[in-house]
Formats: sequence, C-alpha cells, structure tokens
Amino acid sequence: MDRRTLIKSGLAAAGTVAMPAYLRAQSNRKLSILTWNIADQEALFKEEFADFKAQNPGVEIEWLDKKGPELPAFYQTQLVAGTAPDIIDLQGMIWVEWAANGALLDLTPYMQKEPDVAKLYNQDYLASFVYDKKNYVIPFYIAKTLLFYNKTMFKEAGLADAPKSFDEIVNFSQAMAKGEKTGFLTLNFDWLYWPLMQMNGVELLKSDMKTPAFNTPKTIEVLEKLAKATASGGINKIAWTGRWVEPNGAFASGNVGMLQAHSASYFFVKGQAPWVNPDTLGAAQNPGNWSTPTNHGFAISKSSKNPDLAWALVKHMTGNKWATEFSVRRRILTGNLAADKVGLEKVKAEDPLAHAVLLTQLEHTDKMCGNWPLPNDAQVKDVFWAEIQNAVLGRKDAKTALADAERAVTRVMRRS
Amino acid sequence: MAMAMSAAPERRRTSFLRRATTRQAILVWCFLAPSLLIFLLYRILPLAWNILLSLQAWSPLKPAVFIGLENYEEMLTDEVFWQSLWNTVFIILSAPVGIAMALGLALLVNSNISGRNVYRTLIFLSYPLMTVAVAIIWRWMYDERVGLLNYVARLLHLTDTPIPFLNSFFWALPSVVVANIWQMLGFYMIILLTGLQNIPSSLFEAAEIDGATAGDRFWRITLPLLRPSIFLCFVIGMLNSVTSFDLVYVMTGGGPGRATEILVTYIYKLGFVQTRFDYAAAVTVVFFVFLITVAWAANRLSGGNAGARDME
Repeated sequence: MDRRTLIKSGLAAAGTVAMPAYLRAQSNRKLSILTWNIADQEALFKEEFADFKAQNPGVEIEWLDKKGPELPAFYQTQLVAGTAPDIIDLQGMIWVEWAANGALLDLTPYMQKEPDVAKLYNQDYLASFVYDKKNYVIPFYIAKTLLFYNKTMFKEAGLADAPKSFDEIVNFSQAMAKGEKTGFLTLNFDWLYWPLMQMNGVELLKSDMKTPAFNTPKTIEVLEKLAKATASGGINKIAWTGRWVEPNGAFASGNVGMLQAHSASYFFVKGQAPWVNPDTLGAAQNPGNWSTPTNHGFAISKSSKNPDLAWALVKHMTGNKWATEFSVRRRILTGNLAADKVGLEKVKAEDPLAHAVLLTQLEHTDKMCGNWPLPNDAQVKDVFWAEIQNAVLGRKDAKTALADAERAVTRVMRRS
Repeated sequence: MAMAMSAAPERRRTSFLRRATTRQAILVWCFLAPSLLIFLLYRILPLAWNILLSLQAWSPLKPAVFIGLENYEEMLTDEVFWQSLWNTVFIILSAPVGIAMALGLALLVNSNISGRNVYRTLIFLSYPLMTVAVAIIWRWMYDERVGLLNYVARLLHLTDTPIPFLNSFFWALPSVVVANIWQMLGFYMIILLTGLQNIPSSLFEAAEIDGATAGDRFWRITLPLLRPSIFLCFVIGMLNSVTSFDLVYVMTGGGPGRATEILVTYIYKLGFVQTRFDYAAAVTVVFFVFLITVAWAANRLSGGNAGARDME
C-alpha cells in the first residue's frame, strides 16, 4: 500500500466516522413547531424561519399547522408517542391541563434570566398564561370579547347607545325582536358567554377553586331571564347552539341586534356583510367592561431536545420585528406592546372601524373573566355548558339545571 | 428379516413436511399470515389494550394505576352515558324504517316502469357521497334562515316561524336520523334489489296459478326469501349509523345539550376533549359488547345463520 492510498483510506475512514456525528449535530439543531389554524400565514412564517436560520446557522425548522378541533387530539397522540413538537401554539385555557400534567416547559427561569423579554408584552395578557405562579406560555396573538351592535336596528327600535347592564341587554334584545329579527347573540365556546354571568356577579368556583359557587338565586334569575328572552325570540337560539360560523353568519345577515364575540368576528362579519360601516356597526365594551379572552400563545414541550433553541425561536417570533409584521399583515393584536402600536396605527388609517374594534382589546384588560387556570377546564366546561343549554333552551327549569350542573361539576372536581 | 419388513413401510410413509396436505396448509397460512398479522396488530391488540386500559386510571402524562371496575361503576351514574346510549338505540331503531323505505323503492324499481335505471342511479347517488358532505348539505337544508325545508314549510303555510331543526331538543335527533337514512337508502335499495332479482320467478308464477294475491306473494315469498338481504342491510346499516361520528359531529356536535350525543361522539369527547382515555376505553368496551349483542339479536330474529336458513 503506497502512501497516497493510505491517506485516501484514512480520509475515507475519518469521513465515515465524522458524517454521522455531523448529521447528529444537525438533528440536534432541528426544531418542530405546531400552529393552530393559521396556515394562511405560511408566507410570513417562512420569512420568519429564514431570518431565524440566518441568525442560527445549521438550524432546521419543521412547521405544521392543524385546524381547530384537530390540534388537541394531534398533540395528545404526539405526547403519548414521545414525539411532541418543540413549540406549540395553544388557544384558550387548554394549556393549563398540559402544564399541570407536566407536558409543558416552565418558562419562568428563562424570563427571569432575560427580564427584558417579559417587558415586551402586555402584562395582563402575559399574566393570563400563569399557572401555579409559573409562566408557561408567551402571547402569540390576543383577543377578548366585546359587544358588536347593529346601529340600524338600534335606531329602528329607538335605542340610542350600547347597553350598560345585563338587564339592558335583555330588554334591548326584546325591543329589537320582530319577525325574522332577533336582538342578541353570543359566541359560547371556551366560556365566551361568561361575561353575561360575571356582569351579574356570578362566580363559577369558590376561592378554593374546587367548590362550585354558581348555584345561587342570582344565577337562577339570570338563567331565567336568558331562557325567557330566548323563548320569546329576543335572544337568537343560535347563541346557545351555534359554534363560530353560525352566530357570526347570523349577525352578518343584518337581522340580529347585538353580538357578544371576540375581535376576530369583526373580520368575518365584514367579509360577509356589505352593510358593515362605521355608521351601521358599533363596537363597545360589555356592560361592566367584562370580557373573556381567547388568546393564542406559544408553549414549549417539556420533551423538547432543544429547549434553549425553542425559547430563542419563540422570542424571535413574538419579538418586536416579527410580531409587528404579523400584526400589520394579519390586522391582529399580538400582545407585543410595540408591535400592536404599529399595527393599530396602520389599521387606523385603513379601516377606522377595525381600529375601534381592536382598541377594545387593549382596554380593561384587568376585567377578563372565564379564564380560570383549571387543569380540568375541559371537563368542567363540558358538564357545565350542557346544563346551561338545558336551562336557556327551556329543557329544564333554571333551578334544576343548576342543581344538576353543581352535581356534575362537584363530581369532576372530586375526581381530579 | 424382521428389520427389513419394518423398514419398507417406513420408507413408504411420507415425512410430515412432504405431505401434500401439510404443504397446502403451509401455503394457506403463508397467504393468510400478512392479513392476520395486520388484523392482529390493528384490531386484536388495540382491543385487548383497550380492555386493559378500561381497568386503569391513565392519562397521556401519568403512569397507569390499576383501579379495577371503577370506570364501569362510574358509568352507572353517568347521565351523559345513558343519554348517549339511548340516542344510539334510537338511531339503531331507525334502521328498519330506512330498510322498509328502501324495500318499497326496490320493489318499485324492480317492476317494469320506464326509466327504472335512472331511478336506481338517482336513489343510489346519496350513498357514495362523503358523510361530511352529507352532513353539510343537510345542515344547510335544516337551516332556520336559508334552509330549504323551512322555506318549503313556510311556503306551504305549514308553519309561521322557522322550525329550529338542529337547535331544538325535540327535533335535533330525528333530523340527524333523517339525514342518516337518506344517505343509507341507496345502499339498502341496491342490496334488496339484488335479493329481489335472485328470487326465482317460477315461485311467483306457481303462487299466482294457485290463486295467491299480490299481498300473499309479498308476505309469503318475497319477504321470507329476502331475509338474508334484510339482515345484511340491518347489520351494515346499524354499524354505519352508530359509528357515524362525522355525521353527528358536523351536523350538531352532539348538541343542543346532549340531544344528539351518541356513544361514539361521547367516546371521542371523553378521550380527546376531556383527556379521559381510561373512562373512554371503558365506554368503548361497553359499546363493543352492545354492538355484538345487537348483531347477535338481529341474527336470531332473522332465523339464525345470517337469515339464510330458509334458503338452504
């Protein structure tokens, strides 16, 4: 064997040994991210990822988006299989269950290490992602409920301004109900109807967060009023049976006086309703300024092999630069203070009504309700909502429905 | 000599592996093995694991703890389970209605009417449609504002106010059942039509000569000889109905309240919404036993042997 052959063989052998190590290193720099129902932002995400990869050479990012009901089922199967994505976009309070069961990484140490990061975000929205004094989620985009009202219908019914109390909501609804027309609708998923309870002082649980507190004469009174208004056509039945498209679609038809919904509804309604303009559609806070948030935020799976890198990508996507791009392009609020300022300015010039709607999302953020950090939120929500439906749709009287709900919620709380 | 005599039959006896029957058996098992393996992996093992899971307290992030029959005990007092079971039974009981309608249609398109092939095609068209598409079509048909049914009902002055088909506790389940029957009607009709065409015409001719009326011929010849087809329709229709998760989920999501919750939607919600896989497994086991029992009862009612006894 001559020297040349020896060197060649040596290099080949070294290459063989070194290649898997290089590949291993590469796979150690791979991140997976799962977003929820926002596939329309593919172009933006690609730019964000390219920018991140430019700053972090050798990093690979795998992005996957799942539609509404698919994501929780998908994430659960991934958790069981041990292949959970590094970063996950979560909506509402679903994250609490996973955080409480140890699926999500506690981000508090990262935030303590980099105190400036927390300062980027709206503190009330950031606080809504805290469970057991630990922060598990960083705001991605934010929304909370407000009251839309059809000014034309208000005028026809001789009503001047948005209602200021629960009783006014009910009375205004009755005043506008006529033939095809109904007075009020609310979105109902993820506790979005809870402001109607909260404005009457109804509490779901006692301060121990275990014992039901809702079975009171006041709640019975509230449910009876809602049932009566529903039976008479003041409140549209879709408020208690529809999900997202149906109530928003019904309001867009122009035959419903009020809609209690989150800011995202505005863009859907506007897309369907040629009648929508600042003279015909009003956007106001709910009576008492109560609202229920439906925020999206990024969490990191505890099983992530690259938690530091995942944290860096979360910061990258929710930081000033890309959050601003997101806010401007999607006309959305991100919870990032600087980004939302820019986004709002842009919207103000293009669509003053959208600006008014988005502005409500940053007001009275201290009065958000229906977002209890319950590890068994899904179970409580499910059993409680079924009885509320029974009461407002007249299948059971309010007293019986609440007694049944109390029994069901107690059982859920005892089980956990 | 004795040794030589005993060695001769030994040589004549073919070894076990060389026997034709053995080789044939091995060949058969070789062909069957892939399918059986897949069946074992994807049906039997999950079923066994599901039974095991139903006896445990388990969630994706917690270690399993054996709890015996606690999940089954919980079922006894679970109102939603009983409501879902009742709704499932209601849907099963609607299968004979669909089959009766399909039988009428099959008799019609089996007679000498003009354009019967067009009718057969039209009636069958609903079956190959995706269930989700069927659900969306019917959801719009039932819509209070723009639905065809409400439009027709008001046009004919049958009602002054729109009927909230899918938003009412009274109407929701029957409305889902109607959509389900509509989808299955074409399938039932084709099966029954095949059965009708397999009945020898000589039987009808002989009966007619003997003075049997049309009614007699239907009750004494057509119906008994259609029994295997009816059994097949019932079993497939029942399985299709009670597992029609997509139809219920898209049309009503199980609501309003629990008005249209069936066992299969309840199992899904328990597992994937409430993360209660253990309890969902217990409900699944009961659901499985329930389906087996209904299929067995249907077989017995149709005379056993999948309704084919009378044909032998």
